[in-house]
Amino acid sequence: MNNKFKFVTLAIVSLFFSRFASAEVAPGFNTWDDVKAAADGGQVNVYMWGGSDAINGFVDDFYGVPLKNDYNIALNRMPLAGTVDAVNQVLSEKEAGVTGDNGNIDLIWINGENFWTLKQADLLYGPFAAGLPNSQFVAWDNPAVNLDFGRPVDGMESPWSSAQFHFMFDSARNDYEDMPRNYGFLTKWISDNPGRFTYIRPGKGGFVGTRFVKQIFFELSGGHEQWVGPYNEELYNKWAPKVWALLNSWEKDLHRGGETYPTNNAEMHALFANGEVDMSFTQSPRGAGPTNSAGTTPPTSRAFAFYNNMIGDFNYWAIPYNAPNKAAALVYANLVLEPTLQAAQVQPANGFCCGWGISTAKVTSSDGVAAIQDAQNNLGDAAEDQGILARALVSDIAAEYQDKIEADWQANVLLK
Amino acid sequence: MGGDKFKIILSLTPPLLIIGTLFFGGILYGFLQSLGYQPAIQKYDISFDAYYNVMFSERYAKLFWTGLGLNLWVSFVSTFLAAAFALFGALAIRKTFFAKKICNFIYSLNLPMPHLVVAVGMIFVFSQSGLLARFFTQIGFISSPSDFPVLVKDKYGFGIILAYIWKEAAFFFIILMSVLQSLGENFEELAQSLGANKWQRFRYVILPLVMPNLFSASIIVFAFSFGAYEVPAILGVNYPQMLPVMAFEFFLNPDLNARSEGMALSMIIALIVMILVVIYFRLTQSKIRKD
Repeated sequence: MNNKFKFVTLAIVSLFFSRFASAEVAPGFNTWDDVKAAADGGQVNVYMWGGSDAINGFVDDFYGVPLKNDYNIALNRMPLAGTVDAVNQVLSEKEAGVTGDNGNIDLIWINGENFWTLKQADLLYGPFAAGLPNSQFVAWDNPAVNLDFGRPVDGMESPWSSAQFHFMFDSARNDYEDMPRNYGFLTKWISDNPGRFTYIRPGKGGFVGTRFVKQIFFELSGGHEQWVGPYNEELYNKWAPKVWALLNSWEKDLHRGGETYPTNNAEMHALFANGEVDMSFTQSPRGAGPTNSAGTTPPTSRAFAFYNNMIGDFNYWAIPYNAPNKAAALVYANLVLEPTLQAAQVQPANGFCCGWGISTAKVTSSDGVAAIQDAQNNLGDAAEDQGILARALVSDIAAEYQDKIEADWQANVLLK
Repeated sequence: MGGDKFKIILSLTPPLLIIGTLFFGGILYGFLQSLGYQPAIQKYDISFDAYYNVMFSERYAKLFWTGLGLNLWVSFVSTFLAAAFALFGALAIRKTFFAKKICNFIYSLNLPMPHLVVAVGMIFVFSQSGLLARFFTQIGFISSPSDFPVLVKDKYGFGIILAYIWKEAAFFFIILMSVLQSLGENFEELAQSLGANKWQRFRYVILPLVMPNLFSASIIVFAFSFGAYEVPAILGVNYPQMLPVMAFEFFLNPDLNARSEGMALSMIIALIVMILVVIYFRLTQSKIRKD
């Protein structure tokens, strides 16, 4: 009896493992060698927001070269004005009946609502993310990684880098010590400095502004924890009126009395650079570094963060359902997670904007660890103390809040 | 005769095909989407919900009606003023004088300028951190740049109107100059010899002669400024917001359900512009019959 039981257990376990061994690394590919063989000699069409020369150059230099030399893949980077353009193209291809390997896009740099749009319409290839060899460095157990704006990733996109909301000030105009460290002090700062602050209008194209308002919910309600998990209408309704009351109380002391608000990062940076307001927002762990070197903010700009409730998130690569070269897309998505290349994207001299896509603690190879250390040490004085950022880090919350906040802000603050 | 007919049909077919597919195809598809028909996300139900939402729902009604008001205000005022400026400019320099060529050049210079460039130029010159604000602060006329009046990104659409006047006056000017040139001065000389003074010559001779062209150009400018996106996007405020900007924001919404509202709004804009074109067509037809 006992032996029989052991045998059955063994059979089940071995069955499970044989199933596991023959499991695909990604739909259509049994092993990683199959992927590399299929990708050899092809081209990968990478569609990404192209508004930053630094990011474009980084992709061409750090990915284009190894793709060509090590995998014999030609990188074809297609710059977009906005990620939604790629989403619309995939959508149009679907409507036109372009299926199989007959699409145009192999990879899209994506996150948040754009990802949800494609996933909702069943327009993505996958799941593939867990099958990438370098997925071992990704912190898949972290909700900030496995949830994208509160919606499950389900292996349909693979991380590239990360970002975290915080602020910029100009050290030629203000002192680091005088900057507010929570919304309570920000309220006081605004009334002490009338006309010197504004925020990005929460709404389409201005999700950083939505994020700024979301964090007020966390602070007023006494913490971020209760907001994690599925959308909670009751909780939202309890705190929303207080948030609108606070924002309306600022209005008379905002830039132009709150008559209009900047609609995106570029407009906000322009007001800041022109000296019309004293703060701007940044999403980069390098703080004001990327915009300072791009010249869109004054070179004396520095970063500061509140001590709590600074939302951070990840951005990813997704593969459309009709990607012409899925194997090359997989190779690319794997390559960007290489620890030395991850270190290169944080290294300020390379001009990239964002932070780690991997968990650096999972890296053990000596050259990987050395590269990571070196990048951490070079962040420079335009960045906020990385410890302050790490302690303030909270994850984003369910996507329903986003639309709700944008609609209600419009009704209760803009149109009231 | 039959050969001629065949030739006409043959030469008309390519443009008709292009107009048919691109224009009516696009309108039809947009109309279907505005009714909620979106096969990409398995939505096949047809309804007028999106139109109702845009015009009457609590969330969008205020934005829509104020936006429509702003649209009408901006289009009427900018069309009228641009036409008036161009008319007086054209009348002033149509007679030969020493700087005619230079004036003509300066007046038509901004015709090939893209609207986008004009709008960004307005920001550089007229915004509170712009050239004028800084200049007036420098010479001590105002104490800080923020004392400069709000001329762009203002809620009355002054910046948008200014940009359209600057841009469309050149268009009116070119049309008026060609009309005035072809008329010659015989009519006016005749009127003068019959004892008409300057004002009477303008009111009863020149104006009726240029009116048909001025009117048709006005319709074109009005329809354009009613549906154009880039100038109000750059020079407008968040509220009130012109309708094309509002429509585009629906289209940017990653939630595909919002696309129906965006298309409904675009259809409403198209409908208003089309009504104007029909009016224009009727008026010119009756004019031709009279002639």
